[in-house]
Amino acid sequence: MLEAVTALLILVGALLMFVAGLGITRMPDLFLRMSATTKVATLGLGTIMLAVIIYFDDLVATSHAIATILFVFLSAPVAAHIIGRAAYFNKVPLWEGTVTDQLRGQYNVGTHQLASVPFPELEQHLPDVAMRRLPVSGASPVAGQTLEQIDLRRKYDVTVLAIRRGDVVIANPAGDAQICGDDELIIMGLPEKLDEIDAAFRRLAEASAEHPTS
Amino acid sequence: MTVQGLVMFVALPLLSIAVFLAFVRLVRGPTLPDRVVALDLIATLMIGIIAVYAIATDEPVLLDLAIVLALISFLGTVAFAHYIEKRG
Repeated sequence: MLEAVTALLILVGALLMFVAGLGITRMPDLFLRMSATTKVATLGLGTIMLAVIIYFDDLVATSHAIATILFVFLSAPVAAHIIGRAAYFNKVPLWEGTVTDQLRGQYNVGTHQLASVPFPELEQHLPDVAMRRLPVSGASPVAGQTLEQIDLRRKYDVTVLAIRRGDVVIANPAGDAQICGDDELIIMGLPEKLDEIDAAFRRLAEASAEHPTS
Repeated sequence: MTVQGLVMFVALPLLSIAVFLAFVRLVRGPTLPDRVVALDLIATLMIGIIAVYAIATDEPVLLDLAIVLALISFLGTVAFAHYIEKRG
């Protein structure tokens, strides 16, 4: 009886792991492949370890098997998450049949921080447009210039909705509004453009931090 | 069929084919994260192979290897992910 249960568990586990192998070759993009390998292979391993527990029926083997199950069940989701995260930031292409990418425009590409959408209803009506906070460092050459001078509208197709200075918010600023260090610009535009401008601001701040006199 | 026979003639071939398929993905890529995921899957499959082999040979001592392999593959994946994210 126990022998039959062991045999069944081994068979199911081996089949599941085989399906994981099929999944990693056949699935169309990285994230789908990961869903195949992480879930199915982990389940298959758990099943095989159960077979090990029943087959050996002694304390050492059982504790080894349980430790392996626990560790793999804890580490597989973590490993999958960080690889998926790294891949997403590396712009690994999604399958062309992908319906929605809910992270698009929600991640700050520079700092890799996730920020919630300030206006979810805006997202619904204008799915391509995103809003983002853009901090201006004190050392940045942008500080001291007016909105007209940095001309984000023309260079990046991005609109400055407001300037936040400490607790004060200058809403709908005019072209002659001056940007100070440590301001925060609230900008709206296409997510790619927002990423671009974010990277540009970061470069400017780093460059001026290296050469403080210039 | 005995459990040993099942392992030798069914489980091990299935797992070996799975390792081969993961290896195909490791070679083909196309991106670096794909290869890391393939390596991770190969490690998980190896743990399964060690476990069924322990049953087939009646050697519970082999299970030590399974735990060690699980630890190492997790560390490897974390390190790969860290460098991929830094690079991007």
